[in-house]
Amino acid sequence: MASLITCPHCGTRPKEEFSIRGAAAPKRPSPTAKDEAWHRYVYVRDNPKGRILEYWHHVAGCRRFLVVERDNLTHEVFGVTDAAELERAGADE
Amino acid sequence: MSINLLHRHVLEDHISGFETDPNPNHLSVIRRPVIFSVLAHAGQETAVAEALWNAEDVAPRFCGPSEWLAVSRTVGAETVAGMLSAIAGASVVDQSDGRALMEISGPSVRKILGRCVAVDLHPEVFEQGHSAAMLCCHATANVARTGADTFEIIVPRSFAGSVFEELMEMGREHGLTRGFAD
Ligand SMILES: [Zn+2]
Repeated sequence: MASLITCPHCGTRPKEEFSIRGAAAPKRPSPTAKDEAWHRYVYVRDNPKGRILEYWHHVAGCRRFLVVERDNLTHEVFGVTDAAELERAGADE
Repeated sequence: MSINLLHRHVLEDHISGFETDPNPNHLSVIRRPVIFSVLAHAGQETAVAEALWNAEDVAPRFCGPSEWLAVSRTVGAETVAGMLSAIAGASVVDQSDGRALMEISGPSVRKILGRCVAVDLHPEVFEQGHSAAMLCCHATANVARTGADTFEIIVPRSFAGSVFEELMEMGREHGLTRGFAD
């Protein structure tokens, strides 16, 4: 089990305990946003190589949504944060 | 007792069952444990955790930032329900019928559990009294260290059979025995 993710609540865990829930960088448009904005959000996505932000759900552990910053080429992990904490920090700015 | 090896078939144990007298390595299945799930309301996490850790006759198990299991093997469900509902800012649900509680102990316990979980169980990392939710034998479980060589495993009822079989399989090399306990 090579891919280890350090959950801020549970400690270092293998990737088998998580479910990857997709890119965390695209911002969800408001429910009343134009169709073009929603189309862009749902279908027009980048496919970056390198450092990315992803949602990882710790299904077999604390069951929290985490945001993992990692390199999808080398799988180097740069940081793991609780998604709710990140949201709160973003709202404070 | 003398064993007639000549007439002992290689599959003897597999058919009549392995020995059941407790060995040093033993898995106890607790018959009727009391298990409550406790959730803290937003902003009440620290207060609820503190109340849980101070509660008598109840052992708290950490699941997530605002979620715990409260386990008791000594008092009844009503007593625990009364005690837990007195904690301000917490919601509690009786899970006793939905979970199975097993206790594994013995000198080889870390070697056996090392094949079941992917968490470092070294006493300096996973200290006595520590508990966490993790994959155990491919099922979501809560594992707690209750002694130097004793661990408690809580699994959902529907997974109990497969987790039990896998624990026994992993412990066979170490002569793991099993039985019910109160
Ligand atoms: Zn976690």
